[in-house]
Amino acid sequence: MNQTELLDQFILEARDCLEQIGQRLLEVEKSPTDAELLNDLFRLVHTLKGNCGLFEFKPLERVVHAGEDLLDRVRNGTLGYSNDMADALLDAMDFTAQMIDEIEQTGAISSAAEGRSQALATALRAHLAGPAPTAVATQSAPADAPVTATAAATTAATTTAPAATPHVTPAPAWMDRIPTTLLERFPDAVVWRYRPEPECFFKGEDPWLLSRQVPALKHLDVGTQGAWPPVEEADCYQCNLDLVGLSDAPIAYVSDHFRCVPEQVEVIALSALRPAPPVAAPAPVPVATTTPAAVATTVAPTLSVAPGGGQAAANLRKRALQMWDDQIALLSRSGIAPGTVAAVRLSLQGLLRATADDSAALHLTTLLALPANASAAAVGQWAAQHRPTGEAHGDASNATDHPDGLDVHADHPASDGSGLPPGTPPDAARRSSGDDGGHQKVLKVGQEKIDRLMDLIGEMVVAKNALPYLAQRAETHFQQRELAREIKAQYAVINRIAEDMQHAIMQVRMLPVGTVFQRFGRLVRDISRKLGKEVELVVEGEDTEADKNVIESLADPLIHIIRNSLDHGIELPEARRKAGKPAHGTIRVAARQESDRVVIEIDDDGAGVDPNRIRRKAIERGLIPEDKAATLTDTEAVQLIFLPGFSTADTISDLSGRGVGMDVVRTAVERINGHVELSSQFGKGTRLRLSLPLSMAVTNVMIIEAGGRRFGVPMDLIVETVRVHADDIHHFKQAQTTVLRGRIVPLRALHGLLALDDTPHLNEEGEHAVLVVRFGSENVGLLVDQFHGATDIILKPLEGVLAGLTGFAGTALMGDGSVLMVLNPKELV
Amino acid sequence: MGIRYLKKYAALEDIVTVEDAETLFGWLKQQAKPAVNLSKCVHVHAAVLQVLLLVKPQVHGHAADPWLAQALGCAPGQASD
Amino acid sequence: MNRVLVIDDAATVRMYHRKILGDAGWQTDEAINGLEALEKLNNQPPETPFDLYVVDINMPKMDGYTFVRELRRHPSAMQAPVMMVSTEAQSQDTSVAFDAGANCYLVKPAKPQELVLTAALLLGDAAVALKAAEGVRA
Repeated sequence: MNQTELLDQFILEARDCLEQIGQRLLEVEKSPTDAELLNDLFRLVHTLKGNCGLFEFKPLERVVHAGEDLLDRVRNGTLGYSNDMADALLDAMDFTAQMIDEIEQTGAISSAAEGRSQALATALRAHLAGPAPTAVATQSAPADAPVTATAAATTAATTTAPAATPHVTPAPAWMDRIPTTLLERFPDAVVWRYRPEPECFFKGEDPWLLSRQVPALKHLDVGTQGAWPPVEEADCYQCNLDLVGLSDAPIAYVSDHFRCVPEQVEVIALSALRPAPPVAAPAPVPVATTTPAAVATTVAPTLSVAPGGGQAAANLRKRALQMWDDQIALLSRSGIAPGTVAAVRLSLQGLLRATADDSAALHLTTLLALPANASAAAVGQWAAQHRPTGEAHGDASNATDHPDGLDVHADHPASDGSGLPPGTPPDAARRSSGDDGGHQKVLKVGQEKIDRLMDLIGEMVVAKNALPYLAQRAETHFQQRELAREIKAQYAVINRIAEDMQHAIMQVRMLPVGTVFQRFGRLVRDISRKLGKEVELVVEGEDTEADKNVIESLADPLIHIIRNSLDHGIELPEARRKAGKPAHGTIRVAARQESDRVVIEIDDDGAGVDPNRIRRKAIERGLIPEDKAATLTDTEAVQLIFLPGFSTADTISDLSGRGVGMDVVRTAVERINGHVELSSQFGKGTRLRLSLPLSMAVTNVMIIEAGGRRFGVPMDLIVETVRVHADDIHHFKQAQTTVLRGRIVPLRALHGLLALDDTPHLNEEGEHAVLVVRFGSENVGLLVDQFHGATDIILKPLEGVLAGLTGFAGTALMGDGSVLMVLNPKELV
Repeated sequence: MGIRYLKKYAALEDIVTVEDAETLFGWLKQQAKPAVNLSKCVHVHAAVLQVLLLVKPQVHGHAADPWLAQALGCAPGQASD
Repeated sequence: MNRVLVIDDAATVRMYHRKILGDAGWQTDEAINGLEALEKLNNQPPETPFDLYVVDINMPKMDGYTFVRELRRHPSAMQAPVMMVSTEAQSQDTSVAFDAGANCYLVKPAKPQELVLTAALLLGDAAVALKAAEGVRA
């Protein structure tokens, strides 16, 4: 596994998170007090932040972190949700999505993102000052806590239950360095202590600068971690500062400020040092954020620089010692489970083995000799007696350091008493495991893997088709009848398997249309707000499935149709009221399956299309002659909207894009073998009906030959194949036509359409081979040289530079390895 | 910008960076009566602050940065060392 | 061969931790939350299947604390040290972690060297521990 794989995984998960976050944000707007929803949303943002942190994408982390802090307050009930907050969060998520894209492209974030990141984070944090929701969200302390609540909620739930007081931390000694007048003047302030590590200057840090820049700094006291050595011996580049300060800013801001050196800083909210007033709902005050100096590191309390060699061993020792003491402290807690004792013994063993010196080996023997059921107290005593001796200068300082740095040991009786009695968890766990019925295993697979499978199966399908031909050759050419029979038999087996595989992979590729529909919510919300319209979006049939390619190609046309609806369709509220309609308009998007097609309908109850206006515009733009326009019925006139270059908007609104008309939508839909129809009632509304193939995977084509080359033509476009005698072809100026079953059919030579240097061949009887294809309501006959058989192929759309060749629907790989160009006759003509 | 070493004192001006700490330290140690002027000093790096705390030079003039002044004990209203 | 179980609901974090621990030379496995982790344990042969647990706190279905509490109710023979991993914002909960029965507590994102050092100390892997200790601050 390498860094790229990890990054790919990050991108995958980040996108997944963002998608779900987007959905939740919309849902939350509708029900801002839904606790489960809020917790879910928080957890998603939290995960996202965590992942960003692994890669040190700072601009990204900053923004997501701000969002997380905001959501934490909201879900705790101390901050009310608002539309503006929603906007800020949505903006932030958009930015995040962009950054993810950038990371995917270049592997990093450009420095240009810095500014925007700061702006977005600031905008988000501004909301932190907002009001709490008017109704205090009753913190239902859920007993089945593990489901979505975080540990903090669990602690709050259990510790603030009956008589117990919330987790109150005693005021640390260093607070003496802050004048009491300030503590009184700013009761909701935050106090902090920053003890930079001695080597920090070499990392380019400036703790003095960092301290001075703490937001809303009211007091800053400079002390030292150890006594100053005599001036002659002192090294000014070993940091010995011990900074204490008071800031009248939310604790989140201050913590965020010190986020690069969290293990060197303690941040405490003054409010957490006071017992909480008796309140119905346990007020989830930000409990003292004692930094996790616990195990990760401790600040070196002495100034003396450790000797050069053996630094690693010294670090190791020091760390081992800290952990040793942690284990001792663990053993002295009340209500310790026997399992914990066992684990502590194992940890102690590990520590001894890891430090690997002579005394350690001795200690190990005695540890292992302790009786299996030794009590916690007994083990604790042993551990205290056999504490590994560290380096001389390290030891003494460790003993004194702990009370501050490791909150774990200090003053435990109080919090232990309110700790969770061992009895509580089982119920919670059992309940949650009861809820979880069918433990469904879901795999997340990247799309490229599916595509690869598709390709392989496609090749397999084609390759197997060579077998019958081989069997034939075996019999006729090589006179091997037995062999031929066996080949055919085996072919039948392979054929069945291949078809099953094809079905199976097509099932995997089927996606619910909901994946496209889900972004409409946001679209409708944003645009309707911008335009000052009230629009409700109704979505039906999101579970209807279609092939991945179809789904993906649908996105743009659908979005455009909806934008049109929002922009031109739905009227402003007053206009609607005047027309006797409800003030809010409705856009309905519905999907369903009809035999082998997927039908998607989008209708609105807006202004509809004005046939006369369309007629006028069409004439103005010279799209149809005036007399023709007059003969069109209203229904037909409305269809003119599909003509290229048609846009009735007098001002091209930037929302719908410049000059992108319905013709583009139609082309896009037809490119995936779909149809689109529009019907409208002026004043009442408009409906668009899209019909799409269920699957694009397998296409049946007829192979024809022209100019010595072979091409494929999709079977569902072919009306018939017919031979027409040269004499039956009427020439009129440049055009050629013939009569087939009483109807005039225009003829075009494929050679000309494809610019092949050849003219259509005639067979021995002087006949042309004509392939009659359907264009909408008309038929056109294509003159070709030869018909060959029909076959199933996997149509691959053209990619890259070739994608612009609209005359070709795509390519297909043939059994003999050759590539067949599949035509899109409509575009050729 | 940086430090100007005059006869009787070192003038710390604008922003004094980490590189200057060592030099300042050496210079101050050699003075019989170490003294600095902080009236134009906007910010010092923490290492420089350490030097000032270690040596405890006399501070001429009004320190421009109130936090620095307070840290050195020469803010108005503070008892001088 | 030491075996480590990484429990975290974020796939990226699981991958990250497993990579770091795997590079250190240990076998790793993963679970997406406390519930799945317990199932894994219960479906394994009765000797201690894992030598170390690296447990995230915030997970759906069953969070880290609950998992550890549950784990600690298993027979002694099945026990192993637990390294609790959490983000800064929850650092006040170290005591809850220890109450639950965790043996140590690490803040994420953990610097790789820190993670490896702590794990090596708990697993008793002297060579790896010494190497990792070079990269960490005293």
